[in-house]
Amino acid sequence: MSARILLIEDDTQIGDYIARGLDEEGFVVDRADNGRDGLFMATDSQFDVVVLDRMLPAMDGLSVLKAMRAADVDTPVLMLSALGSTDDRVSGLTAGADDYLGKPFSFAELLARVQALVRRRAGPTRAQDTTLRCGELELDRLTRVVRRGGRKIALQPREFRLLEYLMMHQGEVVTRTMLLEAVWDYHFDPGTNVIDVHISRLRRKIDDGEERVLFHTVRGAGYRLAAD
Amino acid sequence: MGAQPILPGPGRIARTSNPRRLSPTMLWLVAAVFVLQLLSSAAAIFFLRGQMLDVVRADRVRQVLDVRDDLLATYLQGGRPALAQMIVRQQGSAADPTVFIALTGGPTPLLSNLARVPALDTAPRPRPVMVHLGSDIPDIEGMAIAGQLSDGERLIVGVMGATESRFNLAFATAGGLTILVAVALATASALLLGVEISRRTHAIAETAAQLASGNFGARLPESHSGDGFDHLRLQMNRMAERIDTLVSELSSVSASLAHDLRSPVARLSAAIDTALDRVEEPVALEALQAARENADGLRHMLDTALEITRLEGGAVADRRLPIDLARVVEDMAELYEPLAEQSGVLLETRLEPVVVTCDRELLSRAIANLIDNALKYGARRVVLSTSAGPGAGAGPGMAEIAVLDDGPGIPPQDRDRAVERFIRLDNARTLPGGGLGLAMVQAVARLHGGEFTLSDGEGPGRRGLLATLHLPR
Repeated sequence: MSARILLIEDDTQIGDYIARGLDEEGFVVDRADNGRDGLFMATDSQFDVVVLDRMLPAMDGLSVLKAMRAADVDTPVLMLSALGSTDDRVSGLTAGADDYLGKPFSFAELLARVQALVRRRAGPTRAQDTTLRCGELELDRLTRVVRRGGRKIALQPREFRLLEYLMMHQGEVVTRTMLLEAVWDYHFDPGTNVIDVHISRLRRKIDDGEERVLFHTVRGAGYRLAAD
Repeated sequence: MGAQPILPGPGRIARTSNPRRLSPTMLWLVAAVFVLQLLSSAAAIFFLRGQMLDVVRADRVRQVLDVRDDLLATYLQGGRPALAQMIVRQQGSAADPTVFIALTGGPTPLLSNLARVPALDTAPRPRPVMVHLGSDIPDIEGMAIAGQLSDGERLIVGVMGATESRFNLAFATAGGLTILVAVALATASALLLGVEISRRTHAIAETAAQLASGNFGARLPESHSGDGFDHLRLQMNRMAERIDTLVSELSSVSASLAHDLRSPVARLSAAIDTALDRVEEPVALEALQAARENADGLRHMLDTALEITRLEGGAVADRRLPIDLARVVEDMAELYEPLAEQSGVLLETRLEPVVVTCDRELLSRAIANLIDNALKYGARRVVLSTSAGPGAGAGPGMAEIAVLDDGPGIPPQDRDRAVERFIRLDNARTLPGGGLGLAMVQAVARLHGGEFTLSDGEGPGRRGLLATLHLPR
């Protein structure tokens, strides 16, 4: 069964754009164009993810989020905001948002984050696993040893964390911004391809000389680690 | 983002400060007044000398004539013997040693107060003459009248006295004193006036320089004395007030403009994305991708401009924590190391642990901007360093984060402008970025109560750029 998304956004144009895109990706999208309706829908029926704009008529996004959490609705929330600064991000996350995205964003970025939230809710989380596997690639989180087949791969600490994150989200599209946030804990866009260079280094260590590649570049979005 | 130029453009920035000294015009004016003053004193002294000489000369002419008249009267009454006797008596009594008399005739000429009969033609008025008093005494100037007696002898009566030279000496002394006093007074007044004018104009110029360098709060003290300087100060302050208003209006307009532009840019990106998904044709795809990149660049610029406005206005939550700067810089070096290596740039670190209460995220952004800048403008070697800074150990001092590169650098005269918003220096225009990088770094430094400075690098010929964040510990 396809995942249901609640989109609370008052800007018709951006709303249409997000809804159409998610629809094409196979999500079922319900829409609300103000905070009050959005809160009502979020508490009334079951959604897998709520995409919530921060600035809304009738009731602003932050209040909607707080009201949802107060009513024990634990649906993952991805907050959108034109206020892209770090402060707003922090206040959104402390109010109970699961992720935060500054406007304007690319649809690929939004999609990657929505998919991550859906998967986190549905699938078995790998957060507790001590060994992560992707095809013949194996990462031991306790001994910090990485092997592919019989080959042992030596990684720098940061490369290890990068691979660990990719393996935890294998099969999903991971954007550069997501990597920068999760692996380096920076919440700004350096505006250059710093992340791409890290990925290509790691990719050489993992995929060079192998028949099947595990690293996939997703055009206009980011990367995907997958054995298929 | 920021900018590093090679050379400044022609006719750039006017020098704002001059050494404190009098202007040449002022010196010429003072000199002219002084010379005129001297000339008028000299003219007055010369006129006075002429007048006094005339009076004295008339006096002596009368004296000569009086003596001659007395002698003639004696001659008329008693003849030559009476005259001779009177002349001798005159000499003996020494009534006036400056009066001299000579009478020719007889075995020797009769002389009183002189040694030889002066050579003088008969004339109705006294004339200047040289008086010989003796072989060992130099001749003395005098004035005498010569007359013919009825017996055919000559009577010469005169007075001695180096009148003119004595007067000349006296007047020369007076003139000299006058000049001395005039010079002293003129110099003193010129200096006082010059220093005062200089002091006032420099004070005004310094305030103007502050305004020019961006301190729009600079004002001059108003005295309300109503003089020209006060008027100038008043008008300068009004001008500064107006500039201040315009600039703050402009920055608030640009901030709200940046904010309002974000939604249209979001829609633009969305529309491009929609098109990108539908289009298969390679040319159209390429064009759309280029449009997408530009939209991203625009978004990035707007974000940074807004962020700077917020930082400058201090409108950010305080997330500062005591952190080791070496860690912050090391993390950034680690993030950029692969990119630097790929670009063929040597990225080095010289880290000294120093704990500062700071916002890691903002400092990291600032460092990222500086590294980006160095890479973008063709550095071959970039050195990141942290240090306790000068004055370490002396209580709560400063800490420094420095990014040194061997790129083209920024000429000293352009460094102030390089940190202004949207300013990109000459060779930076063709490179991507919004010219906001260094402005952002400065805003971060100021938010931490610190400073951001640009100085010469260490390369050959002081090539390159040293960008330093000075943060209080």
